[in-house]
Amino acid sequence: MSENLYIESTKEVYDAIVIGSGISGGWAAKEFCERGLKTLMIERGRVVEHKKDYIGENKAPWQQPYRTKVNNLLVKEQHQIQQQCYAFTDATKHFFGNDKDLPYTTTKETNFTWIRANQLGGKSLLWHRQSYRLGEYDFNANKNDGYGNDWPIRTRDIDKWYSHVEKHAGISGSLDNLENLPDGEFLPPFEMNSPEKALQAKFAKLYPDRPLIIGRTAHLTKPTQLHFSQGRVQCQARNECQAGCSFGGYFSTQSSTLPAAAATNNLHIAPNSVVHSLIYDERTNRLKGVRVIDNDDLSPREYFAKVVFLCASTIGSTQILMNSTSKKFPRGLANSSGVLGHYLMDHNYNAAASGDIEGFEDEVDRGRRPTGLIIPNFYFKPDAKRGFLRGYALAGQAYREGWQSLQHQDGLGVEYKNKLKQAGKWRFGLFAQGEMLPRFENQMRLHPSLTDKWGIPQIEFDCRFSDNETNMMIDAAEQAEKMLKAVGLKNVSSRVMSNPPGLAIHELGTARMGRDPKTSILNAFNQSHDIPNLFVTDGASFCSSAVQNPSLTIMALTARAVNFCIKEMNAKRI
Amino acid sequence: MTNKQKQISAIASESRRNFVRGLSSIVGTTIANTLLSGNSLSVAMTYSLTSPSIESESLSAGKVFSLEQLKLLKNICAIVIPKTNTLGAAEVNTHGFIDNQLFHCYEPFTQEKMKRLLTLIDNVTQEKFSSLFTDIKKNQQFQLLTELDTGKGNFEASQQADFKVLKQLICFGYYTSEVGASKELRYLAVPGVYQGSIPYNDSEPNWGSKGLHY
Repeated sequence: MSENLYIESTKEVYDAIVIGSGISGGWAAKEFCERGLKTLMIERGRVVEHKKDYIGENKAPWQQPYRTKVNNLLVKEQHQIQQQCYAFTDATKHFFGNDKDLPYTTTKETNFTWIRANQLGGKSLLWHRQSYRLGEYDFNANKNDGYGNDWPIRTRDIDKWYSHVEKHAGISGSLDNLENLPDGEFLPPFEMNSPEKALQAKFAKLYPDRPLIIGRTAHLTKPTQLHFSQGRVQCQARNECQAGCSFGGYFSTQSSTLPAAAATNNLHIAPNSVVHSLIYDERTNRLKGVRVIDNDDLSPREYFAKVVFLCASTIGSTQILMNSTSKKFPRGLANSSGVLGHYLMDHNYNAAASGDIEGFEDEVDRGRRPTGLIIPNFYFKPDAKRGFLRGYALAGQAYREGWQSLQHQDGLGVEYKNKLKQAGKWRFGLFAQGEMLPRFENQMRLHPSLTDKWGIPQIEFDCRFSDNETNMMIDAAEQAEKMLKAVGLKNVSSRVMSNPPGLAIHELGTARMGRDPKTSILNAFNQSHDIPNLFVTDGASFCSSAVQNPSLTIMALTARAVNFCIKEMNAKRI
Repeated sequence: MTNKQKQISAIASESRRNFVRGLSSIVGTTIANTLLSGNSLSVAMTYSLTSPSIESESLSAGKVFSLEQLKLLKNICAIVIPKTNTLGAAEVNTHGFIDNQLFHCYEPFTQEKMKRLLTLIDNVTQEKFSSLFTDIKKNQQFQLLTELDTGKGNFEASQQADFKVLKQLICFGYYTSEVGASKELRYLAVPGVYQGSIPYNDSEPNWGSKGLHY
């Protein structure tokens, strides 16, 4: 292939086209390239070069015009939705989409926060990096209570692929030997601070079925030779990850999968290419390629390949399928079942509790740990008496208060300044991350008349949390408050909130896998039931949200799907 | 290049060498060198060279506040976070920062609220002392702001609440300034590793590099 990584026009018929460059697209490209297949990665946004384009990185607050805040005018003009994300700051704002160019609607009395990261690397630059395997109970959940369809896979099908991606990405964590949160191939865990260790011991004694463990996170606590070969070094404990990390301390496309893919010389990238639709040949029942609209000048062009991997995010991939129709597929390609766009899920963060920890005044922690702690879902075994289905994890951390908390007290002058100079009391908080049921009525669809600037129909969301999720959050707040009191915290308070779905940025499930082509879009290998050379390997393929953060599973499903695809290509079935 | 610039540049390259030497010992020279092209190191090395705008005697009208209001605000900054063995809020131009921040990052509603608060402070001072706030004695200023801060004396709860907002702006401005974050407190740009526990006593400053990001 040519010496240039980035291309615009080409007549080449690639072995594989990968649409999207985030966590799933990066993995698909890496796996294809390393297996010797000529691969084109299509990215709708601009190129973000590792290191060079991390323009907000390592800037102290006083070096930023508004000391980490973003000015109103820019927010109003471009980021009314995006600014709701916790990671939206002056150092990261350029990695979030421009809402003005990315309109969407929601049906009456519903709301959905859609966070966008349309550039090379996608949300892999912005993610929170928590990395957990799904357990056997998670894969059985839909089957057990009848919500959603049965996952067509179990842990035995995916475990070796979890190991495969963990070793490359670098996941730090402790071996906890838990029934429904399988251990992985871990780098050493981040340290707990002393109050956390004390709380961990108390939880072990009072709640043996609710262990408090260190978060498992895609950071290099102790890089291996494999990580050095990607150009990455140890995480420097800055916790400014979403600005980009020139150390490659956390996993992103730029730090990890892209260098591996590019090193093979089998990769081309077509940036600024907004995929409009897929090119489908009804006669052969195969995809031939994709139609794109230039991100800047809006001119159309086409790219061709033997297989197409949709890795454009849950909503993005489904939007492309819906916008690709034919005589045979009037409701969207690969949608003979009619479930495309349905069973949209997110996670629910609407409960929290916190309190004060007494003691430990003679110590502080040093550095900024890029993970907290979690109490994994302790409701993984179904129980009809609980009042709701599925469960939640609780995440949190202990920290000493700083001026941000101490400033609220009464006082002025030298005494006040000296108080704010000192470390305050230790605090500990927990927030819930709850599973959302897969429900047919929660959906995304193409708006009948509104289009975006590329002429692509806008998305309309019709999605809300149900009573099951609300009841779960009420329980989470109660349980968290009760446990924090039991382990000795003071001034404990809890709260239940009512934020709409979307803001967990774990949107999942609009082109689900399944055994039955009549009720699902994809088979057990993320391959379309209808069109053999079409795969969807991002969050759209999930049958349930489970409780765990989905990215690690997206990585494993993608690598597994590529492996299967290559086998099928070699067997001439694709 | 002026002498000062040369000096700064020499410090920068010296720090950079030290940094790279340190990094090389952790990761090996080749990787340390490949990292040099990144933003993290160049910025890590230059951040400390940027000076805050130190007090200038020639105040002019701001984007939100009039000249008189800025003088009053500067005076309030000096009372809330005074100079000790480190500079205080007024010396690092927190009043100028607040004016700029209110203009760019806050709604007109909050801008007006802060203007009304300054007017209130002046009006109450006029009533009590027949003088401007900036002209009364230091202990009288302190006493009056303490009443406002605690909602006592001449002030009611809503006015106290507005003053808490102003105090938050002063604290944010001061503790995100270079002096506040790295001289009054301790600033670690690149910690290198997370340590769960190190000894601490009340005479030591807390971290100025925490709670600013996520």
